[in-house]
Amino acid sequence: MRLFIKLAVRNLFRNKRRTFIAGSAIGIGLAALIFTDALIIGMEQNMIASATESYMGEGQIHHHDFRASYAVEETVNNLPDVISRLENEDMIENFTRRTMTFAMITSPANLSAVSMVGIDPATEKKLSQIDEAIIEGNYFDGNNKRDIIIGNKLAEILEVDLGDRVVMTVAQAHSGDLSQEMFRISGIYHFNIKAMDRAMAFIRLPQSQQMLGVGDNVHEIVMKFKDGGNGRDRSLPLWERYSTDGNEAVSWTMLLPELDAAFEMSQFATYIVGLILFGVVSLGIINTLFMSLHERMFEFGVLRAVGTRPYGMARLILFEAGALAVLSIVIGAILGYIITYITTQIGIDYTGIEFSGVTFRELLYPVMTIKQFVEYPILVFLFTILVGLYPAIYAARLSPAQAMRRSF
Amino acid sequence: MLTLRIAWRNIFRQKRRTVLTVLTMFGGLTLSSLSIGWADGTYNRIIEMFTRNRLGHVQIHARGYLDKPSLYRKIEDYSIVGHTVEKIEGVTAWTPRLYSAGLASVGEKTAGVQIIGIEPTCESKSTHFEKKIIKGRSFSEAPSHEAILGKGAARTLHASPGDEIVVVSQGADGSIANDLYEIIGIAESGDAAMDQSAFYLHLSDAQELLVLGNSIHEMVIIADDLDAVPEVTERIRQKLDDPDLEIAPWQEFARSFYTAMEADKKGTWVMLFVVILIVAIGVLNTVLMTVLERTREYGVLRAVGTRPPQIFRLVIAEVAMMAAVSVVIGIALSIFINYMFSIHGIPMPMAFTYGGIEFTHYYSEVNAHSLYVPAATVVISALFISVFPAIKAARIAPAKALRSH
Amino acid sequence: MKITIITIMCWLLAMPVISSQSESPAGADDAEVRKIIREIDELYRSESSYSVIEMEIVTPHWQRTLNMDGWTIGMDKTFIRINEPKKDKGVATLRIENEMWNYLPKTNKVMKIPPSMMMSSWMGSDFTNDDLVKEFSLFEDYSYELIEVEDAREGIIYVNCIPREDLPVVWGNIVIAAIEDKYIPIWMKYYDEDGKLMRVCNYSDVKNFGGRLIPAVMEMIPQTKEGHKTVIRYLELEFDVEIDGDTFSLRNLRANK
Repeated sequence: MRLFIKLAVRNLFRNKRRTFIAGSAIGIGLAALIFTDALIIGMEQNMIASATESYMGEGQIHHHDFRASYAVEETVNNLPDVISRLENEDMIENFTRRTMTFAMITSPANLSAVSMVGIDPATEKKLSQIDEAIIEGNYFDGNNKRDIIIGNKLAEILEVDLGDRVVMTVAQAHSGDLSQEMFRISGIYHFNIKAMDRAMAFIRLPQSQQMLGVGDNVHEIVMKFKDGGNGRDRSLPLWERYSTDGNEAVSWTMLLPELDAAFEMSQFATYIVGLILFGVVSLGIINTLFMSLHERMFEFGVLRAVGTRPYGMARLILFEAGALAVLSIVIGAILGYIITYITTQIGIDYTGIEFSGVTFRELLYPVMTIKQFVEYPILVFLFTILVGLYPAIYAARLSPAQAMRRSF
Repeated sequence: MLTLRIAWRNIFRQKRRTVLTVLTMFGGLTLSSLSIGWADGTYNRIIEMFTRNRLGHVQIHARGYLDKPSLYRKIEDYSIVGHTVEKIEGVTAWTPRLYSAGLASVGEKTAGVQIIGIEPTCESKSTHFEKKIIKGRSFSEAPSHEAILGKGAARTLHASPGDEIVVVSQGADGSIANDLYEIIGIAESGDAAMDQSAFYLHLSDAQELLVLGNSIHEMVIIADDLDAVPEVTERIRQKLDDPDLEIAPWQEFARSFYTAMEADKKGTWVMLFVVILIVAIGVLNTVLMTVLERTREYGVLRAVGTRPPQIFRLVIAEVAMMAAVSVVIGIALSIFINYMFSIHGIPMPMAFTYGGIEFTHYYSEVNAHSLYVPAATVVISALFISVFPAIKAARIAPAKALRSH
Repeated sequence: MKITIITIMCWLLAMPVISSQSESPAGADDAEVRKIIREIDELYRSESSYSVIEMEIVTPHWQRTLNMDGWTIGMDKTFIRINEPKKDKGVATLRIENEMWNYLPKTNKVMKIPPSMMMSSWMGSDFTNDDLVKEFSLFEDYSYELIEVEDAREGIIYVNCIPREDLPVVWGNIVIAAIEDKYIPIWMKYYDEDGKLMRVCNYSDVKNFGGRLIPAVMEMIPQTKEGHKTVIRYLELEFDVEIDGDTFSLRNLRANK
């Protein structure tokens, strides 16, 4: 075995330039594959994070009619029960409660329709990034029940600043009676997401519950898993377990189906390009192996003449293909690592761009995984061997006399 | 020329080498052409579907409307504008639209709606409105007090075709606009948020309701060719020549979609660059091989008196011919394969629906881009790399060359 | 149309009107001021009322003058029917506490207005939703004091009213100019908390309506929007009249006068 390897390597290196050029071509292909895969993983994580970490969470529980009607009365059923179960749920890292209603907010200069959200600042902080998006004022420091936080676009429309007085009007549960309260702007945030900056206002949960007349109830429970993969898993039993008693539990994939679809699309598109890549690379492999074969045609003739069996000839070529593959893999892996590493340091700027209803909020960083450096190289190795079969079989079929007769 | 004839014969003498070289060249060309065709095809398809579905390629509004929509920022005498536009080169169709906010009521249920006045014939030619109807039917040609609801709106109002619906709004003269309509259909536009409040009326009915005479708020224009949209926009601007009108291509009014697409495209270009790089390397390798292997041969030629410039020309000519043949085969093959895929496409693992249109396949497309870029790459890299060995070959000292091998 | 109704609403609800001081500013004392404010709070209140109102709305795009009949009981029930212009004749609105219905003769339809919709501004309304649901009394919910102003006129007193900190109103303060002794307002100026004048309401044409002296004309002019104005004129106004309970019913919405 070792003999063959040695032979193969020596043969390959007889024409260093050609071997290295071919090795580089294949190596670049591998590096490209590694980099693209890392980028796609990074993009996926970034988008999921942008969607879920900023506000939406990885899973939500509502009254099963709530998402369709947004009626104030449709609060989560059996709330105390749901909460105690969630607290004992191993895979849930954090959860928080929210009320959500349609409201009107007025300032001296203007009025606007908004979504009024009542939050529990302490637990909310662990699930959404509102606290990080504050650009003026603070995120519910202290416990002034008249604190309110709005987006910068809304502040512009209402022509208000920190400390200004606004009035929020909502309709109460069941009676439809109007309820009005005065608030003072205690914080202004900028999410760079149109809907949030323009049409949302946050107040403290007890305040909103009081205004809405819903007692201790809430409209929405938002959850985050310890393992992000769970959020994406639609078959998770958890969804069923909490979709009882007139509630529904959904993962973010069901709340943002376009995002899911967009991923599938880009993944598939990459497969296609990957295939094409392999096609190009295989040409290079065949090319190199055949060239090397012709160069040594006389030699091969001699080999056959002295008794090497066809199988042995094929094996020779295959080992060369293997050696070429190893060389390429080394080149490719190093190149791939360098390029990916550099990009993880500088990142790619996609911020502000909206895609499938989600806005990129941070720089995109590729994510390196073991799989890229193990699975893909193995794939390349096998592929090279596979492609090498063609010249190998050709070599096996050589008749000694013909081979020795070939000249340049 | 003699050189060419000799070159041609030389190529065919060494069949295997030639085949290998040509294979690499046209194979690489076809594959990179496929990549480009694919990328362009997919993107253009997405853009086409996205714009064609509802927004159109070019939109005309009264100045300031997009910034701050208002009932009063209108385009008057829209049919004149429409007829002028439809005669412009590159315009396929146009359709007028009117927008206002209102309160609609079916039975006991009331909900806020967005009133959208559309002209059925124009709308059907432009955005295939009738395909969006999921229940009932689309408008009659003449205004007949018919209404169509968006899917979400119909759900909120518990309404179905056959129901009576009342809508209240404010007229442009300040009066209380209200009237009764019959729901004849329910539509799904793909934009779920919009469907939540969409209330479609025949344009004339809407104009009458809102006391808007012959005015509209938006004119949507469909161009023949997606790539020509910027030119068509410019032509429209010049023909209409009206400072009160704002004419914008989709890249402007659908800015966020556009930037997202561009960003995605850039990513794909990087991938394509890699493909082309590998192709170039492959060609390099092959050509280098082909030329360098024949050192002895060139030695003989020199020995019998061929002058260096002639040898140089010979080498270049051989490579050029192989490149030419490869390009011809490659382009023919690319056109064929891309064409097949543009008609049939590859089925997606997970089909999805957007805008009432189902995305089921990936399609490629045949375009100039996918042909000249790979062709240029192959030819240029081949010729470029052949220069060095050509020079080397030309400088061969006959004795030394004859001695090798 | 909603805004028209809302506009009417606000006038027929407790419109805080400040009475004047019976003594000169320097000599006024707290008790007097409180008494005056209370009188004004009560000025427009009655067990019941019937009025014929003309409302002129001016916006940069159009101008309309509506003529309507209105009935109220206390603060909770209101019924209005539009007489002119012809296009809107017969349109009626009923309000019982927080619920509101519209009747549109053209479509012969009674429509209940969802609470959320009661807030949004449709027409060139110069009144905020503040005015609609405001059930605040100047007496209870504001603090007030006499102030001096530049260009003070003879026989006019000026009162500055500041809302209680947590009152759901957006104003920083309201300054009222009223005729001494008569409890009749001349103007009311609304300021935001930064002291910017946001809107002005002018009162004029004082008439005797059933024993009470009330300005028949109110003109509301927003200070931050160009070309907008609303003028209300009471053509008839009767207090404590007998009103048939049936008036405040859905059936009555459809009846033709």
